[in-house]
Amino acid sequence: MTQVARPTPGAPGTPRRLDAFTLASEPGNERLALARVAGTVKDLGLSEARLERLKTAVAEATMNAIEHGNGNRAEIPVEIEVTQDGDDIIVAISDQGGQAQAEAAHGEGDPEEPDLLKKLDGEQTPRGWGLFLIRNMVDAMNVTTDGQRHTIWLTMRTGGAAHGEHV
Amino acid sequence: MASTCEATTRVVPGAAVIELSGEVDGSAAAVLTAAYQNAVNEATDNGSTPSTVVLDFGAVDYINSTGIALIVSVLARARAERRKVVACGLSAHYREIFDITRLSDFIELFPDLDEAINQLAH
Repeated sequence: MTQVARPTPGAPGTPRRLDAFTLASEPGNERLALARVAGTVKDLGLSEARLERLKTAVAEATMNAIEHGNGNRAEIPVEIEVTQDGDDIIVAISDQGGQAQAEAAHGEGDPEEPDLLKKLDGEQTPRGWGLFLIRNMVDAMNVTTDGQRHTIWLTMRTGGAAHGEHV
Repeated sequence: MASTCEATTRVVPGAAVIELSGEVDGSAAAVLTAAYQNAVNEATDNGSTPSTVVLDFGAVDYINSTGIALIVSVLARARAERRKVVACGLSAHYREIFDITRLSDFIELFPDLDEAINQLAH
């Protein structure tokens, strides 16, 4: 089910915008997004392992926005905003894919989770890892739509491990 | 999009080695497919049938979800040909991704190429 409200971070206080930028919807530009976000958050207390996780999530979400949201049309920008709200780092990545992109982001078009054995046996396509990776890399992932504007919100908490990971 | 992925192949006793560098993403498909075929051919031309394919990621700085799909395809092909796939040189982050995707259930991981080759020799 697609959420329509912006996620409310747990910590009180006024969110602080750290960066906002746009990228042309061209394949490969996800690398620019991950590098810029990594530079923005590098001193905010994420361990190296969690920073790598956030970078992968940002790259995958940006790639989805470029390919599926904006259809690789360079003239339609992907918008990226980085904010800090208490202990949360929130990266919002927006495209113009509307509801279809939101449903895809929730797996409504293809509800089956990627299953490696099924992929090896030819029962699933080898692809389809993007959203799976995003969900497993960050502490929270939310999706909102407002008309054609589709946004994926990635939340990473600073100052500690999550998901039982070793940092 | 031009690929930044490069691959060199060589043969060691019992194994075909594919040394990758650059980025393993969607643009690497042709490079990886050709490298697999070259590696196996090279071993066969030398009179051996490689039972193992070694993927060396030591010089790879980026793998995305499409790259994971390419690795899945290589693994599927190797399994169909009854070859084992091992990998080495992955960073801690990509080892975690191999764990999350369960690739590490099917691909044995080694810290580096020397250790992989040494293990294969025993």
